[in-house]
Amino acid sequence: MTKRISTEDAPHEKRENLWLLIVSPTIWAVHFLFSYITAAVWCAKVGSPGGSLQPVRWAIAIYTVIALIGITFNGLSGLRRHNFGTESLPHDFDTPGDRHRFLGFATVLLAGLSAVATLFAAAVVFYFFDCR
Amino acid sequence: MSGKRFIECPVIVFAVALVLAGCTGPQSSLDPAGREAERIAGLFWWMAGGAVVVWALVVWLAWSAMHGRVSRHTERQARLYVIGGGVLFPTLVLAGLLAYGLGMMPALLEPAPPGSLKISVSGEQWWWRVRYHTADGGEVELANEIRLPVGEPASFELESPDVIHSFWIPSLAGKMDMIPGRRTRLVLHPTRTGTFRGQCAEFCGDSHALMAFPVVVMEKDAFAAWLTAQRAPAATPQADAGPEARRVNRGRDAFLEHGCSACHTVRGTLARGAIGPDLTHVGGRLTLGAGILPNDHPSFVRWIAETDRVKPGVLMPHYRMLPSGEHDALAAYLESLQ
Amino acid sequence: MSPVTHHDDPDPLPHAPTPELQRAQEERLREAWRSPSGWRYWSDVNNTIVGIWYTAVAFLFFLFGGVLALMIRLQLAVPGNDFLSADRYNQVFTVHGSVMMFLFAIPVFESIAVIFLPQMLGARDLPFPRLSAFGFWCFVLGGIFLSGSLLFDAAPRGGWFMYPPLTSTYQPGVGADMWLLGFSFIEVAAIAAAVELIVGTLKCRPPGMRINLIPLYCWYVLVAAAMVLFAFPPLIAGSMLLELERAFQWPFFDPARGGDPLLWQHLFWLFGHPEVYIIFLPSIAIIAMIVPTFARRPIVGYGWIVLAAVGTGFLSFGLWVHHMFTTGLPGVSLALFSAASEAVAIPTGVQIFCFVATIAAGRLTHSVPMLYTLGGLATFIIGGLTGVMVALASFDFQAHDTFFVVAHLHYVLIGGSVFPIIAGCYYFFPLINGKKLSDKLGKIAFWFLFTGFNATFLPMHLTGLRGMPRRVFTYPEGLGFDALNLLSTVGAFVLAIGVGIVAWDIVRPKKKQPLSERNPWNAGTLEWLPRMPQENWGVRSIPEIDSRYPLWDQPNLVRDVDQGRFYLPDAEEGKRETLVTSPIDAEPVQILRLPGPSFVPALAAITLGGFFILGTFYLWKAAVVSLVIALGTILHWLWTTTAVIPEKAEKSAGLGLTLPLYSSGAKSVGWWAMLITMLAVFTAFVSLVFAYFFYWTIHEDFPPASATGPGVFWPALGAALLLGAWALTLLARRCNRVDNAPAFYAFLTVAIVGSLAGAAALLAGPWRTGLDPTRHVYDATVWLLAIWTALHAVVGVIMQGYCMARRAAGRMTGRHDIDIHNVTLFWHFVAITTVIAAGTIAGFPLVK
Repeated sequence: MTKRISTEDAPHEKRENLWLLIVSPTIWAVHFLFSYITAAVWCAKVGSPGGSLQPVRWAIAIYTVIALIGITFNGLSGLRRHNFGTESLPHDFDTPGDRHRFLGFATVLLAGLSAVATLFAAAVVFYFFDCR
Repeated sequence: MSGKRFIECPVIVFAVALVLAGCTGPQSSLDPAGREAERIAGLFWWMAGGAVVVWALVVWLAWSAMHGRVSRHTERQARLYVIGGGVLFPTLVLAGLLAYGLGMMPALLEPAPPGSLKISVSGEQWWWRVRYHTADGGEVELANEIRLPVGEPASFELESPDVIHSFWIPSLAGKMDMIPGRRTRLVLHPTRTGTFRGQCAEFCGDSHALMAFPVVVMEKDAFAAWLTAQRAPAATPQADAGPEARRVNRGRDAFLEHGCSACHTVRGTLARGAIGPDLTHVGGRLTLGAGILPNDHPSFVRWIAETDRVKPGVLMPHYRMLPSGEHDALAAYLESLQ
Repeated sequence: MSPVTHHDDPDPLPHAPTPELQRAQEERLREAWRSPSGWRYWSDVNNTIVGIWYTAVAFLFFLFGGVLALMIRLQLAVPGNDFLSADRYNQVFTVHGSVMMFLFAIPVFESIAVIFLPQMLGARDLPFPRLSAFGFWCFVLGGIFLSGSLLFDAAPRGGWFMYPPLTSTYQPGVGADMWLLGFSFIEVAAIAAAVELIVGTLKCRPPGMRINLIPLYCWYVLVAAAMVLFAFPPLIAGSMLLELERAFQWPFFDPARGGDPLLWQHLFWLFGHPEVYIIFLPSIAIIAMIVPTFARRPIVGYGWIVLAAVGTGFLSFGLWVHHMFTTGLPGVSLALFSAASEAVAIPTGVQIFCFVATIAAGRLTHSVPMLYTLGGLATFIIGGLTGVMVALASFDFQAHDTFFVVAHLHYVLIGGSVFPIIAGCYYFFPLINGKKLSDKLGKIAFWFLFTGFNATFLPMHLTGLRGMPRRVFTYPEGLGFDALNLLSTVGAFVLAIGVGIVAWDIVRPKKKQPLSERNPWNAGTLEWLPRMPQENWGVRSIPEIDSRYPLWDQPNLVRDVDQGRFYLPDAEEGKRETLVTSPIDAEPVQILRLPGPSFVPALAAITLGGFFILGTFYLWKAAVVSLVIALGTILHWLWTTTAVIPEKAEKSAGLGLTLPLYSSGAKSVGWWAMLITMLAVFTAFVSLVFAYFFYWTIHEDFPPASATGPGVFWPALGAALLLGAWALTLLARRCNRVDNAPAFYAFLTVAIVGSLAGAAALLAGPWRTGLDPTRHVYDATVWLLAIWTALHAVVGVIMQGYCMARRAAGRMTGRHDIDIHNVTLFWHFVAITTVIAAGTIAGFPLVK
């Protein structure tokens, strides 16, 4: 069995944060839920069928900007961990470094997916102008 | 290869013809007669074509991966499959599809312009109460049949007093649920005349399958004449005519005598029940029992005598026990309500 | 590729223990893990045994559901058929859907995971073996009860989706109650299994199996089990509302008294859509194990698959309204759900291309499991593509509730789940009894299944588009449905022949067949370590892992494991033991003692089941008696087998590693189980709070002008008392830790009094202000939130009393304090629940 002494200074397990992995999808979920609740409550309480949707469109746009900023930060932090050290994919060694890189990589991917899903949801503002 | 292609051509033409022939029908969403249905059918054909191409592509890729047509890949090359085929391609295609699909929605949900024909339909276990709102603020209650003028928008208000039903005329548009405690809306734009079929699309109990209705799209004038006729009270049979009229008169008496009037209305008579369908012009409808029997004498007899067998769970009691001749007379009377 | 290992990883023992020592170790291990014989066999709790029972029973339900499907197809073969009456047909299709979902798809995912998850993780068993057994017995009992109802013409008949008001007021008879209570019972069992699987994946891995090395199957199971936690509680909450309406006329879905049928649809589909992915992910997980084995290389895109699994898990919770596209909700809401429904196709595509890429980069060997895998994927892709179509609300206006959707969902579920599971059967079968299934029968069955399936369901797309709605017991001739339906029926029987061949292959006697060689497919993951046939101990010694495919990459692994050169090669005390490791890097932290065979889980399941079954028949007194017995049984179970103080503080795990035998707080597996369970309970509570605000959105005035309570005083008092009880419980934990017994008992006693008073005050709110739960949905919702919170407090009181008794009996000490740690954790949730509940019922009317 070949062994390599790990010279990298990857953080110990205790300083690794598993929750960072799901920050982006959580942001998507919150964005989605807020958009839906805002639209649903507005149309039920204020808009009635045919009423204007303008404030909801603005709200969704603002949620989207905030969400994308959050996802970008989470994705960049993932990217930093993915690029940690010198090793590249597929991050399948039994070392703290590869564990660190793997978690970073998965974070980047989830951030990407969450960003796309958030943009998909945000697309509704281009199509709906009233509570029909 | 080229010889094979030569054979394939007619096969494909035949297959396409077969598929197109297989799309027609009075209840087919692929044989549209309304603006909404046309748009959705168009969307379907594009998506179906795209889906076939995508499926074939993926299967071809998997096939060549298995059989090494694409020479053995390094891990880095293989990862391109994932990024290209698994990420970029679907994201772009789905984004395009979503943009197109969302773009269609506002028009599909657009309210009818003011002054359009307004119809309320209530789905009840297992028939349809239909009310036409006339321009003068009046209301005509009918049942189990809907007629529309071609080329005019028709605005429906949908509701239900019992369980959830769904109002669906595939030839004209998508469906809309009828939910107790809520009022939903649907706008139709029929584009060609003809007779179509609507059916309840939400499971609503025993006879969910037997809750349908004919839909007739008519020329504008014919429609106006029909609606005027429907507003009129029931025709009064002649008092002194021959045996046929006597039979009808006996049927009318039986109708009141056996309690039919407790549930049914025949406008212009003492029958003013509101629980069941309005029967003022039942003889002139295309079907009986909410789109499940033809409108003829034997069907009337069968419906009256065998109600529970024709429509399991139906609220109307059967009248199997009536003396012979009564079924016949009742049927004759109802048929006369043109 | 040579694995690179962490520098301080220990090597296996350089020399094998002497043959005598090995024999003695094996004898001790065999004795500790022996299955009981005779009738006591059914008291076994070992994951392999229970998992096999579980899977077998799930398959029986699959066959039963299949027979029902054939009855449906026979009835629809020709127009106007009278093979089944309308009512009978409605029972049959309701039970078909329900059985396939609740008694096959969900259980089979959990049962397969119960068998193989520990094996893939090199663990001896799951952390809570008796919980698995309990889940199994709940499942058997509930399943038989529900399926049996069909024989007595008493089955549920409202569809597997159970929409009120049809199911609340228009269908008298026990069918709907059976569905609501029976499935709630089974869902509780499913949540129990999910807790087990999550803790198993996070805490019971072999040393060295860092989070980047976990077998993909385990990732998928982790995600699916987490989804169960958040998907099932809304349905349990919804079922509770519907049953309260049926049994006690609380008007949650009755519009005449302020209720709304759409609330059920929200709660049901909030469960129902994630449910599809809960079924799909663990099935595709089997494919993720099979493909690398037959491509003879590691998976391409491990990280991408983790992305797909986790991403799907999240996105699947944003799809529920796409089952409600035709309910008249505002277009902008529909569009949001359309968008999420399209987005979820992306991670699904990623997985498929990871498999294709792995095949492209590898050297594929043909085999029966691979045949089913590829057939399944080809089928599933069609379902995925039609899914993308119906996800567009515009198209769904037509397709919804037609046979198009029937076709779509069967392509997804059979292609995405049944084919992979059969692939798994052929792949994993040697691990069950050491024999392979027949290649020949497998291939024949495949072609029957594949052609039969497509002949059945491909025409249904067209049937639906030509206007045939779902759930109809018959159809008239001449609408263009006739030939298509006949073809579907013929196809269904061809499909059934295929299922029959597979079933025969599984049960046919294999006495004369030689044992399969060890690791017959030359796979790379740990579940293939065992000898054929395998021993009950799971793994001979628990290896140190350096790779995603240790059997490929770690030389001599099998020899070293077999000779006991790794961890825990022995059972010196004759006890069942496994390793507990840390969640990210799998550093060993504890040796966990596991309980052995017992009838207690079965008894607990039967008595708890008794509560639900008797409740179905409104025999509430008997039901409560059964519940009390269940409670007693569970307390006995906890008292005797959990948080047992070991005879020594620590012991050697081998390779110079000494580990504690007891850990409490966040280090103990029980604490994690409590946390995860409470997340599920809390989700159910959130669903009830959602109901409150949902009613607010649909009503002009909510609380209605006629509402008389609950006021601020009583809820505020109740909340204050419960928060006090929570603080005292925290203090009691501290006092216990420093062995200040008088203070411990004093604090808990006061806490108990406070909790009971708090619960009473919460109930006094609606009671003293005259809220009548049958009058209006507002009153009913307030009552429900108060009762829910008060029940928490009562359970909390039982726990506080339990802790006092444990300490008094010497079963809990300052250092051995698992019980009070877990109870405190429970009380954290009580505190949050109280604040939200009181804030809602007392605070919201004020701000409004």
